[in-house]
Amino acid sequence: MWSIKPGLITKFGFYKSLGWNGERRMKEDSQIASPQNAFEKVVEFVDERVGLKTIQAKMLNEPIPGGSRWAYAFGSVLLFIFILQVVTGILLMFYYVPSTDHAYASTQYIIHEVDYGWFLLSYHFWGSSAMVVMVFAHMSQVFLWGAYKKPRELVWLVGLALFGIVMGFGFTGYLLPWDQRAYWATVVGVEIMDKTPLVGDFIARFLKGGPTPGQMTLSRFFVIHVMVLPAALAGLAGLHIFLFRKAGPAGPFRGTPEEIKAKTDYFFPRQIWKDIVAMATVFLIICSLAFIEPVVLLEKATPDPGDYHPEPEWYFLFLFQLLRLKIFGGEFGQFLGAMAIPGAFMAFLAALPFLDTNSERNIFKRPIALIGWTVIMVFILVFTVSAIINRHFLD
Amino acid sequence: MSNTKLGLLVFWPTFWTGFPIKMVVALLLLAAHMHPWEGAGLFLLLLVSIPVDIWALGLCARTVFIDRLKVDPKPGIGLHLWIRWAVFSALALPIIMIVVSTVTETAQSVVSSIVESIKENIFVIPVAEQISLELVMWGSVATVALILCIMGWLYGLGWLAQPFVKNANPVVGSEMDQANFWDSLRIPADQPLLLTAFTGVGVVLVFLFWVLLPSTTPHPHEEYVYTFEKKEKVVVEPKKILMEAEQVLANAELVVIKLQDEKPPDSKSSEKTSELSPEAKQKNKLGTQEPIKDEEKP
Repeated sequence: MWSIKPGLITKFGFYKSLGWNGERRMKEDSQIASPQNAFEKVVEFVDERVGLKTIQAKMLNEPIPGGSRWAYAFGSVLLFIFILQVVTGILLMFYYVPSTDHAYASTQYIIHEVDYGWFLLSYHFWGSSAMVVMVFAHMSQVFLWGAYKKPRELVWLVGLALFGIVMGFGFTGYLLPWDQRAYWATVVGVEIMDKTPLVGDFIARFLKGGPTPGQMTLSRFFVIHVMVLPAALAGLAGLHIFLFRKAGPAGPFRGTPEEIKAKTDYFFPRQIWKDIVAMATVFLIICSLAFIEPVVLLEKATPDPGDYHPEPEWYFLFLFQLLRLKIFGGEFGQFLGAMAIPGAFMAFLAALPFLDTNSERNIFKRPIALIGWTVIMVFILVFTVSAIINRHFLD
Repeated sequence: MSNTKLGLLVFWPTFWTGFPIKMVVALLLLAAHMHPWEGAGLFLLLLVSIPVDIWALGLCARTVFIDRLKVDPKPGIGLHLWIRWAVFSALALPIIMIVVSTVTETAQSVVSSIVESIKENIFVIPVAEQISLELVMWGSVATVALILCIMGWLYGLGWLAQPFVKNANPVVGSEMDQANFWDSLRIPADQPLLLTAFTGVGVVLVFLFWVLLPSTTPHPHEEYVYTFEKKEKVVVEPKKILMEAEQVLANAELVVIKLQDEKPPDSKSSEKTSELSPEAKQKNKLGTQEPIKDEEKP
């Protein structure tokens, strides 16, 4: 049993008292240590060969300027969701058959007959939505904190690529159950891609593998979903974290350097605690959503939509609703709404760190950034809700 | 510090401190087929929320008082402030709900009539544009009403918290001492005991969750045919199957005989075999063979 004096808790004293003061302190501790038990011997064995304690010290002793914050938990939560998506995805793959003859039946089998299959599938489904929400939250936090500015331009750029990959996961995974919703969401999505100048036709043909979505489409989407994108995301996420660690956390946008330095804290334990609580909360929310709205398939996919009104995943609804506006009617209008504007917006985001070279990070002193962010969020919200209201008019 | 700011500073962390614990309870209720937003589920959730909120409110209010207001509140602030806030919110929140929903409904009908009159008298508005236009118009009014109501509610929370500020003792010592003081509120005296208790509760909750979780979907597809149910329906009774097979053969023999009987009289060979064999007679005691209809004849 041990207790901590209040004076040791804040700032650096607490961690130093626990031995979280880097490699040197740990080596001293290990030298002082009395006869080792079996577990300590194993740790020592691995440490000598891998440098376990050095890695641990580097990971946990990362200084956080200005101290820990709940706002910094989004990145860790994203990593957590991704790991659980991989785990549930692998479990689903044990039963899923990626063929047009069996995809629907095997998904129904997972839902109805595999033990806890319905829950795993529903968790995986809501987990993908949670990832999109968290990416938006993480990007918003980085933007509002001005953390994309020098010297963190590359962190921002890799983050944008990761955003695209997360969207790709959602798009390719949506087809796999092979029901009407999946089929027609893909038809709509591929048609939008087809409008890209120069490469649109190639991308659409490559993804579909034929004139209409069929076995080739399903095979390609499956391979992209379970092989290409996870590998790309794992690699880029590693690079993202490496670049982030290299540049260091940006810290709060308010306060003098002295104040920020005085409040500087280590990653362990306070930020780790906040991250764990945030992860647990997100996990609980996803589980609850899986219960409240579990995945229920529509009819098996057919080239005839019947009474079903095709629409994409909810996070693409704002774009889908935008294309319904009269101004975006016709071939050119569709290209403008579906490709030109979103493409220009993404290009603008990529160029942002190089365009906005002002070192000011306080969002309340960057009115254009604050207004711009607010307008975009309101736009996405209004058009997403409009798309939902629009369903009644279609019926 | 203004009442609204004080209310927000205490309420916001209190909500998030208690939220994960309430979520655990809500999830367990869902796993046990009880909706946490109605009936017994809601009652249970509210019951569990009371001690959680008292604890979270005490912790967060104390932190805000020491860190931001430099005063140390008297013990029992969690319970006393919770009672005040609970009574006030029980009155204020239904009123806020009524006000916001009334404003929203009124705004929706007014906006709808404005848009309709524009469509009739000025120019045609396509459906997609009309939806977004109406949403922005009534949504703006409803959002402003909601924000004003929430600010009024936070003002009330802050106003109810002010007496605790006045009765609190000033915190002595340096900035660092104050930070240490409120920070130490979160550190239990016996940490291994707390860690063990947390782990134990976690294991029990996980176990409980998997026990309560239905193994098959609670929302089956209406057209799905369970393969397991099909297999269960097949009951193999060898004796019955053999009897039925013999009956079929005996019937078939009867059919053949009758067909032979209907052949022309010059075919003598067929007359010899037209009699029913003793075995066939024995097996066809039941007389289940139906007369052959004209259309079934070859």
